[in-house]
Amino acid sequence: MSLDFIIYLIINTAFILLIAPLFAGLIRKVKAWTQGRQGPPVLQQYYNLAKLFRKEIIYSPHASWIMRATPLVNMAAIMVAALFVPLVFVPEPVGGIGNIILFLYLLALARFFMALAGLDAGSSFGGMGSSREMSIAAIIEPTTIIVFAALAIVFKSFNIFVMFASSAATGALTTPTIILIGISLFIILIVETSRIPVDNPETHLELTMIHEGMILEQTGRNLALMELSAAVKLTLLMALMINLIIPAGLAVTLTAAGIFIAAILFILKGSLLAVIIGLFESSMAKKRFFQLPSLFAMAFFFSTLIIIIEVFA
Amino acid sequence: MIQELFIAALLFFGAGFVLPLAVRSDRRIVRTASYACTILASVLLGIPAIAVLLGSGTVIFPAYAPAGLFSIAFVIDRLAAFFLLLIAVVSACVALYAIEYSEHLDGGSRRNLLCGCTSLFILAMVLVVASANTLSFFFFWELMAAASFFLVMYEYDQPATSRAGIFYFIMTHLSTVFVMLGIILLWLGSGSFALDHLADTPSYLATGSFLALFTGFAIKSGIIPFHKWLPYAHPASPSPISALMSAVMLKVAVYGLLRFLLDVFSPELWWGALILVFGTASAVLGVIYALKEHDLKAMLAYSSIENIGIIFMGIGLYIVLGTAGLPFLATIALLGALFHSLNHALFKSLLFLTAGSVIHATHTRDIEHMGGLVHRMPKTGALFCTGALAIAALPPLNGFASELLLFIAFFESVTVVEPLVKVFLFLCLALFALTSALSAACFVKAFGSVFLGMPRSPESAGAHEVPALMLAGPGILAAACVVLGLFAFQVLTIAGFTIPVMPDIFLIGLLLLMMLVLTYAVAFFASPRTSRVSGTWGCGTHFQEAGTEYSGHGFSEPLDIIFSPLYRTRIRNERTFFDEHGAIFKSGTAEIRLLRVFEEYLYLPVARQFYRIAGAVAKIQNNCLDTYMLYVFVTILTLLVFLGWSA
Repeated sequence: MSLDFIIYLIINTAFILLIAPLFAGLIRKVKAWTQGRQGPPVLQQYYNLAKLFRKEIIYSPHASWIMRATPLVNMAAIMVAALFVPLVFVPEPVGGIGNIILFLYLLALARFFMALAGLDAGSSFGGMGSSREMSIAAIIEPTTIIVFAALAIVFKSFNIFVMFASSAATGALTTPTIILIGISLFIILIVETSRIPVDNPETHLELTMIHEGMILEQTGRNLALMELSAAVKLTLLMALMINLIIPAGLAVTLTAAGIFIAAILFILKGSLLAVIIGLFESSMAKKRFFQLPSLFAMAFFFSTLIIIIEVFA
Repeated sequence: MIQELFIAALLFFGAGFVLPLAVRSDRRIVRTASYACTILASVLLGIPAIAVLLGSGTVIFPAYAPAGLFSIAFVIDRLAAFFLLLIAVVSACVALYAIEYSEHLDGGSRRNLLCGCTSLFILAMVLVVASANTLSFFFFWELMAAASFFLVMYEYDQPATSRAGIFYFIMTHLSTVFVMLGIILLWLGSGSFALDHLADTPSYLATGSFLALFTGFAIKSGIIPFHKWLPYAHPASPSPISALMSAVMLKVAVYGLLRFLLDVFSPELWWGALILVFGTASAVLGVIYALKEHDLKAMLAYSSIENIGIIFMGIGLYIVLGTAGLPFLATIALLGALFHSLNHALFKSLLFLTAGSVIHATHTRDIEHMGGLVHRMPKTGALFCTGALAIAALPPLNGFASELLLFIAFFESVTVVEPLVKVFLFLCLALFALTSALSAACFVKAFGSVFLGMPRSPESAGAHEVPALMLAGPGILAAACVVLGLFAFQVLTIAGFTIPVMPDIFLIGLLLLMMLVLTYAVAFFASPRTSRVSGTWGCGTHFQEAGTEYSGHGFSEPLDIIFSPLYRTRIRNERTFFDEHGAIFKSGTAEIRLLRVFEEYLYLPVARQFYRIAGAVAKIQNNCLDTYMLYVFVTILTLLVFLGWSA
C-alpha cells in the first residue's frame, strides 16, 4: 500500500464525512422552496447531528445487542464503501478496493443490520419499515446489477477507480450509453436513498415511511450515526454518478492544488445534482407501495436496453 | 500413508455403524462411542483429503473384482478429495452436535439405530465420492439412498413423517432409476463401466446418457421441478439428519453431475444452457418459496433448493463458457460452483443445527410462535446470525466469496462471441442478483422472527440455552464460515488458482474492523455514555403486547403480493341458503389455500397415470394357478420358437 493510497484513504473519508450532511440539507431546502416555505437552514443537518450526538440513548427493554451494534456496523460498512468511491482524487487501486460488486454488497451489509434493528424493539413500525426496505432492495437489485454490469462493459473493468480514471481521461459524455447509464444510476440513487416516489424521507406517517420507520427506535448518538450514514450513502451514490458523467476536474495525481480545485468543483457539481434531486422529488407524488414493482420493471427494461445496445453496437 | 488413513477412516465409520446395532442396550455411552467413532473417522478422512487437494497426487486403490465386469474400485483425485473434505468437516461437526441432541429425542433404543445409520449414511457418501467406476458409484449411491431413508423415518409413528418418508423413498428411487439408465446408456456406448472419457461414441447415446444422469442428479439435489421431497423430508427428520442431507447429500449429487461432465462427456453448449436454465429457475423459485414458508426447517429446505440452483448456475456457466472457448472464465465459474458447494455445506449445516436447538428449546417449528430468543439463547442466536449473514452473501463471510466468483464470471462473460448467448447470460445474471437480494430478505425475516422482538408463545418465553456440546459443533462451522470468507483469496491461491480481479476480502475485513473501532472510539469519547431503558413506542398504548409486533407473515407480505402470480392460491367459498334465491344465509365454509403447483399439476397427474397402468397390469393377475401356469407355458413356447427361428 503506497503512501498515495494512505493519503487517499484519509482525504476521502474526511471529505465525505464533512460534506455529506450538506447535500442532504440542500435537498430539503430546495423542496421547501418549491413548496413556498422558507425551510430549515442548509446547515441544519450539521446542527441536528451535533445535537443528537450530545443526547443520551434510550433502549427498548426488548432490544438486544443487534440494536446496540447496528449503528456501528452500519456506519463502518458505509465508510468502507465510501473508500470505494473516490470523490476528488483517484489513486491506483489496491487489493480489490473499488470492486463494484463488493461495493454493492457492503451497502447490502449495512441494510441487513438496519433491517434487523428495525425488528429488534418489537415495534410494528420498525417491522413495517424493515419488511418494505428489504422488499424494495430485492426488487431493485436486478436493475442495479445490470447497470453495474453495463458499467463494467463500457469501462472494461470491475474497479470504480479505473472507471473514474478512464472517464477523467476521456472527459466522459462521449458515448450515448453513458447518458443512458446516468439515467439508470439516477433511478438507483432515488431508490437506494429512500426518496420520493419510493419513500418519503420527511414524513413519520406509518403509511408512507420505509427508512424512517426502520430507524424509529434509534435515539441519541445511535440516531446521529444512522442519519450520518444515510447522508454518506447519498453522497456516495451521487459521487458515482457525477464522477462518471461529468468528471471534469477530478484529480488523478496527488497535488494540493489539484485536490483543492477538485473538491471545490465536486461541491459545486454535487450541489447542482442535489438541486436536481430536490426538484425531481418535488415534481413527483409518492407512489403507492405496490405500484413500485412496475416502476422498477421499467427501470430494469431500460437498463437491459443499455446492455443490448452495447452488445449489438 | 494416504491409503492407510483413508481405509482407517472407513473402518471407523464401519465401527460407528456396527457398535450401536451390536450393543442394543439403551445407554448413552454406546451412542457417544458411536458418534466418537464417526468424529474420529471424519478427522482421519480429512487428512488425506487435504493432502490430495493440495497436490500430493491422485491415489488409486486396487480394485476388488469378484466377477468379470463387476468390480468395486476407488480412486481419490482432487475433485473427489474436495468433496471428501466437505463431507469430513460437516460430518464431524454434526456428529459432535448429535451426541447431546440425540439424548433429548424420544425413542429409547431406537436412538442407537439413529446413530448407527448416521455413520452408515456418511460412509456411503464417502464411498460414492471415492468410486472409480460407474458400478461402484451406483452401488453406494443406492446404499446412501437406503440409509438416508431410514434416517428420515426415525419418527415413523408420526403420520407426517411416514408420509414424508414414502415421498422421499419414491423420489430417491426415481433418481436411482435415471442414474441407472444413464449408466447403462454409457455402457452401451463404451462397453465398460470405467469413468473414462467417451471419445468415439455415437453422440445420441452420449446425449441420452447425459439427459438421464442430469435428471437423476437433479432429482437427488432438489432442482425445481423435482424438488418437492426436500420441504417434506427435512422438517420430518431429526435436525442433525436434515443438516447432513441438506449440506452433504445434495452435494454428492452435485459431485456426480460434475464427475460425469468433467471426466466422461464432452459437453455441448446447449447442455450448459439447460443446466443454467434449471439452476436459475431453482434459485429464484426456491428463494421465493422460502420467503413464504413459516416452518423454520421447511424454509431452510427451500433455501437449499435456492443454493443448489446457484451451484447449478455455476456448472452451467462453466460449460457455456468452456464451449465458447474461454477456459479461464470457465474455470472461475467452476471454482465458484465448487466453492459455493463447500460454503453452502458449512452455513446450511450451521443453520440446520442451530434451528434444531431452537426447535428443541421451543418445541415448535413455526416461526410465528418464536420471538425474543436472542435474550434467552444468546449464543445460539449469535451462531444463527453468523449463518444468516453468510447465506445472505454479505461480506466478509464465505457466502459472499463464492457468489462473487460467479458474479465475476458473469460480468466477464461479455467476451463471449455470440450476442444471443450474451443476452441470455445477462438475464441469468439479473435473476441471480434478485435471488441473492431475496435471500437477504428471507434471512432478515428468519432471524428477526425467531430471535428478535418479543416472545410470541409461552414456550418461547421459557426457552433456555442449549448445552455446550450443542454449541460446539455449530461453533466450529461458524468459525469456518468466517475464516473461509476472510481468507477466500488466500485459500484459492493455495489451491493453485490466482484470479486477478478477485478482491482480497481479508483486507476488506480489516478495513471494516478499523472503521468499526474508529466509529466506536468517536462515539465513546465524543458523546455522553449514558443510556436508559424505556418502553418501545406503541402509539400511546400503555403496554406493548407480542401480538402487535410485526410477525414473519407480515414481514414477507409485500413480497408475497409482488410475487403473487407465482404463489397461486385457491379460494374456495361454499355457501348454503335457506331459500332458492340465495338470500337467507344458512351456513358456509371458506378457505384460502396455497396451491401446491408442482404437486397438483405435475406429480399427481404422473402418479395417477402410473396408478392407471398398474391397474391395467393387475388385471392379468387373476389369482388362479392355472392361468399362471398358462403364462409359463406360453413363455417357454415363445422362447423355444424364437430360439429356433433365430438360430
